[in-house]
Amino acid sequence: MQRSFLAQNPSVLWFIACLAIFTAVVTVLSEAMGVGLISTSFVKTLGKTLCLCLIAIAMDVVWGYCGILSLGHFAFFGIGGYAIGMWLMYARTEKIVLESLSGQPIPPTTAEISDAIGNQIFGVVGSSEFPVIWAFADSLFLQLLMVVLVPGLLALVFGWLAFRSRVTGVYLSILTQAMTLALALYLFQNNSGLRGNNGLSGLQNIPGFAHLSQATVSLAFFTASAFALGAGHVFFAWVLSGKMGSVVEGIRDNEARVRFLGYHVESYKLFIFTTTAVVSGIAGALYYPQAGIINPGEIAPIASIYLAVWVAIGGRGRLYGAVIGAAAVSLVSSWFTGGGAPDINFGFYVIQWTDWWLVLLGFSFVAVTLFFPKGIGGLFDLLVRKQS
Amino acid sequence: MFRLFSLALALWLSAPAVAFSQTLQDILQTHQEEVLKPGRRSVGVVLADLMASGLPQALPFLEAWRDREIVQRDSDGLFFRVLAEGDIVTLADLDTGTELQAPDNELTESRPNGGVRRAIGEVLVQFQLSDPDIGKRQAAVDAIARSMDASQLAPLEASIDGEPDPVLKLAKSRLANMLAALFSDTADARIIAIAALSGDLSVDTRAVLNRLLSTTDAVAETLSADVNLARILKVGVDFTPAEGYGRLVTAELAPPLVSNDDIRAALVANVADAQVVDVPVHALGTDAARWLAYDMLVAGGLASPRVKPQEQIDAVAAHVFYAAYTEPEKRVTDAARSALNAIETKVAISQAADLGLDALSLASIYFLAAIGLAITFGVMGVINMAHGEFIMMGAYTGFVVQQFVPDYTLSILIALPLAFVITFGAGVAMERLVIRYLYHRPLETLLATFGVSIALQQLAKNIFGTQARPLTSPGWLDGAWVLNDVIAISYIRIAIFVLALIFLALILFVLKRTRLGLEVRAVTQNPGMAASMGINPDRINMLTFGFGSGIAGIAGVAIGLYAKVTSEMGADYIVQSFMTVVVGGVGNVWGTLAGASLIGFLQKGIEWLNPSNTLAAQTYMILFIILFIQFRPKGIVALKGRAAAD
Repeated sequence: MQRSFLAQNPSVLWFIACLAIFTAVVTVLSEAMGVGLISTSFVKTLGKTLCLCLIAIAMDVVWGYCGILSLGHFAFFGIGGYAIGMWLMYARTEKIVLESLSGQPIPPTTAEISDAIGNQIFGVVGSSEFPVIWAFADSLFLQLLMVVLVPGLLALVFGWLAFRSRVTGVYLSILTQAMTLALALYLFQNNSGLRGNNGLSGLQNIPGFAHLSQATVSLAFFTASAFALGAGHVFFAWVLSGKMGSVVEGIRDNEARVRFLGYHVESYKLFIFTTTAVVSGIAGALYYPQAGIINPGEIAPIASIYLAVWVAIGGRGRLYGAVIGAAAVSLVSSWFTGGGAPDINFGFYVIQWTDWWLVLLGFSFVAVTLFFPKGIGGLFDLLVRKQS
Repeated sequence: MFRLFSLALALWLSAPAVAFSQTLQDILQTHQEEVLKPGRRSVGVVLADLMASGLPQALPFLEAWRDREIVQRDSDGLFFRVLAEGDIVTLADLDTGTELQAPDNELTESRPNGGVRRAIGEVLVQFQLSDPDIGKRQAAVDAIARSMDASQLAPLEASIDGEPDPVLKLAKSRLANMLAALFSDTADARIIAIAALSGDLSVDTRAVLNRLLSTTDAVAETLSADVNLARILKVGVDFTPAEGYGRLVTAELAPPLVSNDDIRAALVANVADAQVVDVPVHALGTDAARWLAYDMLVAGGLASPRVKPQEQIDAVAAHVFYAAYTEPEKRVTDAARSALNAIETKVAISQAADLGLDALSLASIYFLAAIGLAITFGVMGVINMAHGEFIMMGAYTGFVVQQFVPDYTLSILIALPLAFVITFGAGVAMERLVIRYLYHRPLETLLATFGVSIALQQLAKNIFGTQARPLTSPGWLDGAWVLNDVIAISYIRIAIFVLALIFLALILFVLKRTRLGLEVRAVTQNPGMAASMGINPDRINMLTFGFGSGIAGIAGVAIGLYAKVTSEMGADYIVQSFMTVVVGGVGNVWGTLAGASLIGFLQKGIEWLNPSNTLAAQTYMILFIILFIQFRPKGIVALKGRAAAD
């Protein structure tokens, strides 16, 4: 009789417990519950951080477990954001347009409504036509489906092409980077159908929930993000337990040997790559309604490299490590760049952390790679070893 | 000389007045009435006398007259030029230029009207075309070229024979040909002029021919015979049926369309008791319902009838749409068409050559940017994300050197080796401190060097600020090498091309002909075996990395010369450089060359297909590269045998 999945993976239970306690504490202290110790904007920051943790888990699975250093996962994150953003923007603009048209002497036709919405949304890029990709923008259900399907399909096609021709290692990293760069450049065009450089904005206003305060909405998104993070963690922990996990880790350690043992390596890699892309898309769909705006700059290659940085600092090959890395680096980063850190005055030169934070991050990253290849998560190993 | 020209002009004007007058003032005094109140007819006499006099001060007088700066003193009837206006006017004597003052109310202004001023202008052009100063003649030719006019043809042709400067003479006869093509009286003369233009690639010649071939779109029930037809326009090819109907409406050949907005307005205007005719207002939310209600309004005589889609199509089909030349003479347009076709063929060939040169220079830039990376990545299997920042360091080195050495030629000559030394040092330092610990973990070198990259980028931002810094090229690199009107390539790009060639030769020499190159190749193939033969792999790795970084520094100076130096410039080149190395094939200088050429030519080619959109060009190029890697995963020049093993 095999032991149960959770008994095999005590860290999952610990993680879920910590996450639940954290979510409960934030909820109780938030403005929506009337206490107000945690401001609404900080709830949003925490909610966004949870989404980043979720994509970090995906990155950890694809890199730390499967050995594919993808430098393009933010492309999937962005696609998820764009997919949900299209519905949010369409539905909200539709509401505004309907309200403004309701004062007319005769009721508007569907063509008039659609024209007016198109004008509102695409006026900034000098167009009023709805591009083909907005065909399903009026349906929340279909757009939610796109959040999952588009990143999944893109990853499937891209991964199939890449893995089939045995592109590995550094080559694959460059190729994924090229993919996200191509997507970003494409979206930067005004005629891409997604408002070019302007991106989609006003996403924090959820159509149908206008009567709720931002405090409540952001708390709801925070809770949803926490739930998604927990579910993602459990899902990947489950996928990677048992035989599947062993094969995937085998591929990371010696791909050729696994192939000679008779496993179809490409299928395993494709499965991992696609699944993580889908999870990234979901993370993006939760992130951008909290951020309020998405533009092509978000999926520039640098974002995906930072993702790798988070995972490396947090510790590869353990899911909670990715979470710790993403949360720690992104929160510390916003603390430093937001002017939270005190300046250091040397008398002849004042170090302002808004300017010097990236230098510090860069060098500390080098240090982590050189001296702590296991990252922050490696510290837990020390604890466990001391106890035993 | 000048007197001769003037006489020739005067003869041509067939107003051979013999001039005995000593001064300009004398001539003007004989025509006091005409000068003060000139008319289109009477002014000819004055102008003829002035030209016949051959006086040099006639030219400034004519200019002043045209600009309404000539006044007459009431007391003695003498004419003066106004220098400064006011209650007391400053005047200049027309012959000697002596300044004098006079109260404003004692002067009468000469006010030539538009026709007179035009006549003066024509004479001025003749004067200027034969001016002894070549600058003035050139200016006159340029002025005619800017605004071509029928009246300029005769004076221009008259001035060609007497033109001493061969270059200007050529320009004059070219311009005369253009004017003749446009304005000559007979069709034969125009056709001869057009034929003379047909070998000329310049933009203004093409503009003249295009002007001759300009068309207007028109529509008629049947094609009339006196139209110089360019071509028949077809529905669905040249215009949509809706556009065609719009043209019919504009030509008043069809009743105007009733748009949805019109229908809406008509309905709104007829709302009564929450219904229109018999249709309740709340039911008007669809187009079909609105049409129905509108048709009821039409039946009641309250609105003009709707043009139904089928009626539109029928109306468009019943008319012939065509483009007609604005030039009525068919022989002229035919000649212009064949001349333009001949020119355009030549232009297309030249453009292809120009595009090829552009692509070549882009390829050499990519080669310079990527070759350092190819050495470190290809030869050592180490990926250096900070390579772009080494390029940036080189460019900033050039900028700093220019702050201390003001002579641009000298500063570039200092900056090139200095950039190599500095980035060589930085590369060696990075290899010693970071990379040598990570040789067995290639993916982690990528991350560690990325850390170095963001730190260096931010450091540069902190030191030099975010604004772009100029790196000025020496004066002898300004300008461009012009082959003809289409092919031109700037000297900087040629210099970069030459630099790339030098580096190709240098790297090949180092790798194939020196002891260091031999050791580098040995370590590349088998470090263990190389070590047992007495080669120190550590030292070789360090030197190779330094060498690759140093070349990046030099590439930085070269790139900085034509692009702005910013802290982010490295990031702009890093992805392209990776592409170049990956496409070209790892571990081979020739591969990098092939990769750079492929990417350079590809990018220019895509830009040519879609010139308005460089973003799209880059997108398509990256997609192409992604696909290319599918078919040649190891690049164009793939290593074979044992060296290919990872």
